[in-house]
Amino acid sequence: MPEAGQKKVSIRIDGELVQLPASHTILQAAAMAGRFIPTLCHFDGLADAGACRLCVVEVSGVARLLPACTTPVQEGMSVVTDSPKLAAYRRMILELLLAERNHVCAVCVSNGHCELQNLAAQLGVASVRYPYRYPKLPVDLSHPRFVLDQNRCILCSRCVRVCASVEGAHVWNVMSRGIHSMVVADLNDPWGDASSCTGCGKCVNACPTGALSEKGQAVEEMMKNTAQLVTIAMRKAVRA
Amino acid sequence: MSRIEDLSTFNDVRERGVAKLLPGVPRIAVGMGTCGRGNGAEGVYHALAERISYYGMDVQLVGTGCFGPCSEEPLVNVFIPGQPLVILRRVQASDADRILSAITTGHVPAELAWCKVEDWDHVTAHFKYGHGYPELPDWRDIPFFAGQKKIVLRNCGVINPDDIEEYIGVGGYQALYKVLIDGRPESVIEQIKAAKLRGRGGAGYLTGLKWDFMAKARDVEKYVICNADEGDPGAYMNRNEIESDPHALLEGIIIGGYVMKSTKGIIYVRSEYPLAVHRLERAIEQARQYGLLGVKILDRPFDFDIELVEGAGAFVCGEETALIASLEGQAGRPRPRPPFPAEQGLFGRPTNINNVETWYNVPPIIIKGPAWFTETGSARSAGTKVFSLVGKVRNTGLVEMPLGTPLKTFVYGIGGGGAPGRSIKAVQTGGPSGGCIPQEMFDTPVDYETLAQLGSIMGSGGMVVMDEDNCMVDVARYFIEFTHSESCGKCVPCRVGLDVSLKILDDFTTGKGTAAQLDQIVELGRMIRDTSLCGLGQSAPNPVLTTMRHFRHEFEDHMIAKRCRAGVCGSLALSPCENSCPLHMNIPRFLALLKQNRLEDAFESVVMDNPLPASTGRVCQHPCDNRCRRQTIDEAVNMREVHRFIADAIYQSDRFDALAARVVARKLPATGYRMAVAGAGPTGLTAAFYLALLGHQVTVYDGKPEAGGMLRYALPEYRLPKAVLAKEIEMIARLGVQFVFNTRIGFDLSLNDLGSSHDVVFISIGTWKESWVHLPGTELKGVMPALPLLEAVSRGEAPPLGRKVLIIGGGNAAVDAARTARRHGAEAAIVYRRERKDMPAIAEEVHAAEQEGVKIVFLAAPHRILGDGEGNVKALEVVRTRLGEYDRSGRRKPVSTGEVIRMDCDAVVLAVGETVDADFCRASGFSLTEGGTLVVDRFTLETSRPNFYAGGDVISGASNVSNAMGYGKKAARIIDERLMGAGRLAQVLPGFDYVPRAPDQLSSARRHETAVLPAAERAQSVEEVAIGLSAACALEEARRCLHCDARG
Repeated sequence: MPEAGQKKVSIRIDGELVQLPASHTILQAAAMAGRFIPTLCHFDGLADAGACRLCVVEVSGVARLLPACTTPVQEGMSVVTDSPKLAAYRRMILELLLAERNHVCAVCVSNGHCELQNLAAQLGVASVRYPYRYPKLPVDLSHPRFVLDQNRCILCSRCVRVCASVEGAHVWNVMSRGIHSMVVADLNDPWGDASSCTGCGKCVNACPTGALSEKGQAVEEMMKNTAQLVTIAMRKAVRA
Repeated sequence: MSRIEDLSTFNDVRERGVAKLLPGVPRIAVGMGTCGRGNGAEGVYHALAERISYYGMDVQLVGTGCFGPCSEEPLVNVFIPGQPLVILRRVQASDADRILSAITTGHVPAELAWCKVEDWDHVTAHFKYGHGYPELPDWRDIPFFAGQKKIVLRNCGVINPDDIEEYIGVGGYQALYKVLIDGRPESVIEQIKAAKLRGRGGAGYLTGLKWDFMAKARDVEKYVICNADEGDPGAYMNRNEIESDPHALLEGIIIGGYVMKSTKGIIYVRSEYPLAVHRLERAIEQARQYGLLGVKILDRPFDFDIELVEGAGAFVCGEETALIASLEGQAGRPRPRPPFPAEQGLFGRPTNINNVETWYNVPPIIIKGPAWFTETGSARSAGTKVFSLVGKVRNTGLVEMPLGTPLKTFVYGIGGGGAPGRSIKAVQTGGPSGGCIPQEMFDTPVDYETLAQLGSIMGSGGMVVMDEDNCMVDVARYFIEFTHSESCGKCVPCRVGLDVSLKILDDFTTGKGTAAQLDQIVELGRMIRDTSLCGLGQSAPNPVLTTMRHFRHEFEDHMIAKRCRAGVCGSLALSPCENSCPLHMNIPRFLALLKQNRLEDAFESVVMDNPLPASTGRVCQHPCDNRCRRQTIDEAVNMREVHRFIADAIYQSDRFDALAARVVARKLPATGYRMAVAGAGPTGLTAAFYLALLGHQVTVYDGKPEAGGMLRYALPEYRLPKAVLAKEIEMIARLGVQFVFNTRIGFDLSLNDLGSSHDVVFISIGTWKESWVHLPGTELKGVMPALPLLEAVSRGEAPPLGRKVLIIGGGNAAVDAARTARRHGAEAAIVYRRERKDMPAIAEEVHAAEQEGVKIVFLAAPHRILGDGEGNVKALEVVRTRLGEYDRSGRRKPVSTGEVIRMDCDAVVLAVGETVDADFCRASGFSLTEGGTLVVDRFTLETSRPNFYAGGDVISGASNVSNAMGYGKKAARIIDERLMGAGRLAQVLPGFDYVPRAPDQLSSARRHETAVLPAAERAQSVEEVAIGLSAACALEEARRCLHCDARG
């Protein structure tokens, strides 16, 4: 995180000159330049996982695409945040996510307030070209206040990180690997039995989709309070 | 056991080690790597130990690691003082007595001895064993070792890995000693940089630079890690290195630790390598005892220790950030870089990770200097690399070659090429992260950059050779299945992208793939490669992208023709024989019907699959033999001769008319379409047969006076009697096929005329143009091409051959011409520029020709033909050739030696290949290829003009009868589908009451060959040479079938 008096560097975001401390990332630089880079696993105040790969950008002189969220800015860097290739790749990533599990918006508590849905609309994903997998995954209703619907989970790990670094409870982790990966509470216990859970609800507010929600919410009713959570997370991050 | 504290104690240990390696008594060392043990090395060791103690012999018996050639295991090396070290191969426990009794007389057992080692370069020391055994080849002269340079494997298979003193004896820990005494770590880094050593784990990053970053990083704790998490399928370099020479690894790491100012080393090794773990544990323990690990190493102010950590077997842990996570006790998932491990690695401390093999290169560079190291290898990739050469080559094993060595040296030189009768298709390098390089590109030098340009990678050194039995779609699917199940699941492209890719590839291997999916999988592959978080995902699509680049036609075969040529994709083939047959005959079915004594059903099955069963039963190239699974037990079932038997049995019986009527009865009602077939060769006859069956009105046009094409006019009577062919053509005529003879298409009748008078024209003309050799003297009288000669003989003319005939060529036409010449009383010799195994002619025919007195002169190329002054041939001068480099066909190219031999003769026959004369087609507006063949759609056989189709030699160039007939059958199916809709051919073909079932009892009979006339008798007559199988033999052959068509 930025320290006072740190050396500043100048970089170009889509041609526009931005000056910012060297410890900042391309994603932060783009935000300063008012350029939009889509993300799903990034959450202000949490350490980045680099998992969703939506934020990949082109940097001149670098053959590979670089993730904006974890790449620190360097003096003289010139970044392109959008191009036909990037747009195609981002749409493919969203299509893959939509095909991976059940994302039928019409019956989702987060319909209308879902980051995945919003991005898909924004990036023009009108249809999914890949076969839907529709695995039959469990819905965990064991917690008195919250619901975990694995079918809506995109494995961004925001819940894992917010619980570990902000709440400090370490309830969540990711079990198994590859396509079988699953978010689990404690040692794959029902959430309601997870003794480490404080019931703070930070994970629910960090979750970009309808995978984590409050009980009693019907379709379209689940609104996440991200703004407040970001404030808490940023404060915590500065202290750390 | 003593701590080494100074030079004198170091030298004491060294001398003890040398004394063990060059003892005053015989020394027997058994290769006891995992590979050797798997082949029974432990039994050999115990048998030797038991017999040595029984006889009370003074012999030193030790275990060593592996010497490399896996296909020759178990290996034992024997040293008798003063004599060379001798490598014995394929040693069994029962050989113990033989070995020991030979040793007592100062010899080695000749049957087991493979090669000798007179002196050995350990790089850090040089050993001279002795001279002797002139009858044994030097190890460097064995093809498997030719060109190998053992730097990493310098001690493997020679020293006892469990004895630190032997390692010190061959100059081990000397580099460490030097580095510690010099006390200038920065100069060591400079040396590693100057040596241009690159990471051997695959990425090829410069090791010196990496060390420099790490050395400059400041922290209270720094870690040096060895990545021994070797997980590529088919790769076992690191396992063998560790098992054979663990101390060399330790020495490299300790030097690294000193240079990078670390005190803690970690070796992360797969727990699936128990022997490697065991030997490393022992080595670490011994190194501590000798003061080479722990506090005050070699009594210098340097503390360093190494911990062994066993990985749980996740492939992704080979990725350095995932490996670090695993070491921290977390799940093995990679983290984004930056921060790089050199800044923040294990527990947030600066960390350096190098592959096993990288560490092995460190001591030699320090002892011999960077200039010595860069002498080997290519400009940008210095040194050597160990590869595990596996797959479809004769010699498999671990090989260490200079970087930049061309791929063909690995495949054909060291590997010894493919199995007999199999052609090699591709090499897969780099395991699941690599790609497939096609045979046409085997000139490629193996180094980091060149492989990357081809879409593959060097990886850790796996090299899997694939031949025509490997399906590239299946290969791609296999590797995607592997990376799919090994993906950690953290990032979306790898987790979901590979899942979708696998589904698409599943569709292709089951014939359900679509053109849209073909594009989709490439698009997906590029996205996964470009956006994934770690190396696993970034390289996972390589197998798909490279197979799509170089073998797209195989994907198309699966998609459009629903065929897997390699016969791997089970749901696309009935059995390997059926799959290999261009006519796709249901071979297991006719064998079973014959076995059930249903001869007439068997005939119907055969003739409906193949309208010329008696002819093909005699002259087919029988690709089915090569694929028959019975070969894994003894030899292939003689399928060709069985269907010849079935056809002959009916043709020669009074049941012919009845069965011909059964075939005619299957004819569908008349469609009203008129079809012209241009060319009455096997292609045209086959097309006519099926088109007529499907109810079309077919007229076949041919320039010759009778039908049969090459079968009639090029094949000599003694191979295919005209009467047999006539009977088969009669069957076709009974279906209502009309023939118009003596009408050459393009001359007497134009294609345009045919097109206007018929609904569809099928062009199936043959390759009647003999290739001409451009030699001085071909204008002389007595020089003739093979085809016109054979044709003249078939018309009953006596060719002017004289007394002595020389035939140039190595194909079937050459052999036919030679045997024909013998039958006309001439002496005949074939001149061929390569070796016997390279001859394209059918092996049985070559054998028969030799029996009849035909001589074959191999490795001789025609130079010029000499005349007698009156324009007659007098002699042929040939140049002796030797075999040079491997060419694109995987055969060695003949090179002139300059030695000219004169061979007197009265005639010279040119049989160097035939081409098609399709020039007249161009005038009718057809597109031709550069080679002069007609351009057609590979899958539909449509030419560039609508309603004109073509098949056979006219599109493929000179081929063989079954390929030609395959085109005819396919053309008939496609033409009918276009006009009448799909599935009608299947409707015409008979069904039989037959359930494929594997035999209850395996027939123990060996393969039956056809009886032949005695050679002396047949050289004087035109009688058919091969008599065919007897009924009893045919039945036994049918019983030998394993019925690969049985399911479930």
